[in-house]
Amino acid sequence: MQNSPGEEPETSLSVTPPKKWAAGVPAVVHALEYSLEQTSPRKTGVDLLTMNQVGGVDCPGCAWADPAPGRRHRNEYCENGAKHINDEATTRRITAGFFREHSVSDLAARSDLWLNQQGRLTEPMIKRPGSEHYEPVSWSDALGVLAQELNGLASPDEAVFYTSGRASNEAAFVLQLFARAFGTNNLPDCSNMCHESSGFALSETLGTGKGTVSLDDLHHADLIFLVGQNPGSNHPRQLSALEEAKRNGCRIVAVNPLPEAGLRRFKNPQKPSGLLGRGTQIADRFLHIKPGGDLALFQALNRLLLEAEDAAPGTVLDHDFIDAHTTGFEEFAQHARTIDWDDVHTATGLTRAEIEKVRDEVLNSERVIVCWAMGITQHKHAVPTVREFVNFLMLRGNLGRAGTGACPVRGHSNVQGDRTMGIWEQMPDTFLDALRREFGFDPPRPHGLNSVNSIKAMREGRVKVFLALAGNFVRAAPDSEVTEEAMRSCRLTAHISTKLNRSHTVCGDTALILPTLGRTERDVQADGEQFVTVENSMSEVHTSQGRLEPASPLLLSEVAILCRLARRTLDGKADIPWDKFEGDYGTIRDHISRVVPGFHDFNARVSRPGGFQLPNPVNEGVFNNKVGKALFTSNEHVVPRAPEGHLLLQTLRSHDQWNTIPYTNNDRYRGIHGSRHVVLVNPADLTELGLAQGDHVDLVSVWADGSERRAENFEVVPYPAAKGSAAAYYPETNVLVPLDSVADISNQPTSKGIVVRLEPTVDRTRPTPA
Amino acid sequence: MAPENEAQQAVPNAPGKRTDGGVTRRRPLRERHVEETIEVAVPVRTAYNQWTQFKTFPRFSALVHAVEQIRPTMTAWTIGYGPLRRRFAVEILEQDPDAYLAWRGLEQNPSHQGEVEFRPTESGGTAITVRMLLTPQGAARILTRSSRATRLTARLVRGELVNFKRFIEGLGQEGGAWRGTIRNGRVQHDHPEPPRSRVAQWPVG
Repeated sequence: MQNSPGEEPETSLSVTPPKKWAAGVPAVVHALEYSLEQTSPRKTGVDLLTMNQVGGVDCPGCAWADPAPGRRHRNEYCENGAKHINDEATTRRITAGFFREHSVSDLAARSDLWLNQQGRLTEPMIKRPGSEHYEPVSWSDALGVLAQELNGLASPDEAVFYTSGRASNEAAFVLQLFARAFGTNNLPDCSNMCHESSGFALSETLGTGKGTVSLDDLHHADLIFLVGQNPGSNHPRQLSALEEAKRNGCRIVAVNPLPEAGLRRFKNPQKPSGLLGRGTQIADRFLHIKPGGDLALFQALNRLLLEAEDAAPGTVLDHDFIDAHTTGFEEFAQHARTIDWDDVHTATGLTRAEIEKVRDEVLNSERVIVCWAMGITQHKHAVPTVREFVNFLMLRGNLGRAGTGACPVRGHSNVQGDRTMGIWEQMPDTFLDALRREFGFDPPRPHGLNSVNSIKAMREGRVKVFLALAGNFVRAAPDSEVTEEAMRSCRLTAHISTKLNRSHTVCGDTALILPTLGRTERDVQADGEQFVTVENSMSEVHTSQGRLEPASPLLLSEVAILCRLARRTLDGKADIPWDKFEGDYGTIRDHISRVVPGFHDFNARVSRPGGFQLPNPVNEGVFNNKVGKALFTSNEHVVPRAPEGHLLLQTLRSHDQWNTIPYTNNDRYRGIHGSRHVVLVNPADLTELGLAQGDHVDLVSVWADGSERRAENFEVVPYPAAKGSAAAYYPETNVLVPLDSVADISNQPTSKGIVVRLEPTVDRTRPTPA
Repeated sequence: MAPENEAQQAVPNAPGKRTDGGVTRRRPLRERHVEETIEVAVPVRTAYNQWTQFKTFPRFSALVHAVEQIRPTMTAWTIGYGPLRRRFAVEILEQDPDAYLAWRGLEQNPSHQGEVEFRPTESGGTAITVRMLLTPQGAARILTRSSRATRLTARLVRGELVNFKRFIEGLGQEGGAWRGTIRNGRVQHDHPEPPRSRVAQWPVG
């Protein structure tokens, strides 16, 4: 265990060649090294050996599914999960003395890394209007201040209730219930910023917002596409599933602007062959695509499939499926044939021959799955791109059969479950009617604010109170300067948090820190020890129960904080048993079972080992969209372009990072060590731009509003990024993403495909951005 | 206790190609390395409903230790003898209520496929016919090439049929039912909304 750092770690960049494989011995070493820096060997052991096990704690890291009970490894986690869970289980503590020592403006100048390294929050704190310091406050007073502020609003719509994907089903259900009983649908969530585009596209075309595959599908697919995702760093346990698929003869096509280590080769640290051998080759074919070229790639593939059918009628397309289960095929096919090969090349950077080879892979495969992540969903044309994946899958009937389907890979452990529980600003009347029947109040019907619109409303003074259930909204949101201005415009900001982050330091006139239990900790309430539930990316609902003693006796659970706040705010206005909810989470689940479709007998079914899987209508031949059939769509051709002298930037996470929080300044798979203020650019682009390794540049984004958005003092690193593109770390470069730059239809911020130019840094003594 | 050769005593109605409205259903299995038939003294609906409650196989089977129903068209079976265990995934290709079911293993080695037919008998019972084809790959192909391996498979299938007969006749009625239809590995949706499909329909971000 090491003490929290007093000063910022020094940044000094060194660059080594990118790794050609992921995991292996280094993954074990780095995981243990970080864990033992943070906490004791005993706690590390308890955490890791119960993590992702039946009856244990669900990894808060990503939403990847667990193998069936009985098939799990003794160590069922990845390097990043181990780091994440022990980052929460740290023995470091933040006390009142810390806040006396550090003013809010001092903290606002600190890096994300330094703030996180200070340790766990231990007691409620308040920053009063005009004060520069947080000070201790009792729970009663803290919740009283918040309730008074909420009740003093001219309208309930002047409050926003944000949810991060760490929140459990129970906490999420209670939060949305409280918000709606209070009178607003302003329920933005982190989904707005990660897979909103997938949800809209899948709901429209297939009638479900969720992926259609299970682990067993992946294990038995003939061909898997990994599009716009980096499993080695962002969902490493997916690599085990891909390894098993490969063992069963599957082939994998990876499509990405960067040749990430995890797409190339995987050394499974659970196996001797992974520790000592060469590991498993992941991608049989790698398409080095330009950012945003995925739509054109799949449109081109679809055209090639149609032409293959023309050449050999009845042998390529699944006419039985198309005729019986879909609509819109003729219009789609007509449109698909119009795509221009020059445009495809410009959009993708790929040759026709490369794409034809992929077509051949498809024709040789009976069962195909497409996986994707935020390399797709954060583009302006993300919704059409996901629709085109669906077109591609439907052409050969790759939906609803074993080993086939659509697989949006979600990043935050319960991001899917929170949405299922009603955390959405546009919940349908069916759900609101069910709430009314169950709780006897009439929920508001007008749609509320999503994340982007919440920022706009705060900035314009239309929202005055911001409450966050977990997360680091200020750093997760785009257009950092605008977001920070918006937060500072609020009368009150409050965060239910386990650890310190920048959202506590960029705050309203009054600010509250409401410290809460982590996933790893025992949660004892009036009715005894509690567990919570989560839903993973493959719609499996299961329990999560921590085993460690809480970081402080003053911590309340998320559910307890929300129930107490609801009691104080609503003061008997609605007949909702908040005290029973707090004392026994099983009572919340009883209500969920009557409100949320698919959760009947919730308590009984979730108590079984491994929980239960929500059915996916697509796999039962049902398409619950407006037309009642799977929908072929005709999507406009898009060729992302950057003006002369500009590049298309994608923001991305490092390997040593979880969402907005870096654990170190290293990114060992990409060979970046000691600094995060780097921009990765193709060597040929650097030559054209007159830049060289080690040059310092400002990244300046170009947007229609003419405002200058600048990320200062980044070091140039030549890197095999796709020609015409650049990559830099999130959240440092969120400042470059204009708030109005959102995906069509889904309103998701576009953190990919941002047009930037690189200007030499004039004053290199200026501090790098926090 | 039923005699071991009971499985061979069934007198089913003559099996033939199944037709439905004049349409002949595709059957994936053409070669019949193993075929066993048994008659059970329950109506065909009862026999079919119980058989397709796959999760209950361990209750009567000597070989099946667990069955996971991943979804209607996909199951994962854990079989074994003594301390040995093997798990494999199975895709259901065709399923007609009270009549027919065809499956194939999704593993490459060894691969297998099979079909089950349910036919009413004149006595009011059900004739159940199981046909299985094993196609081992690699070294397993050599080991199982002999007719002894085929006979062993046949004996195992026959034993399982006998176990099922005792089970369903002892219970008298089924413990559940799934009445859906599967064609080409895909559930056929012919009702307004099957109960299992009543799930959240809003977008998930």
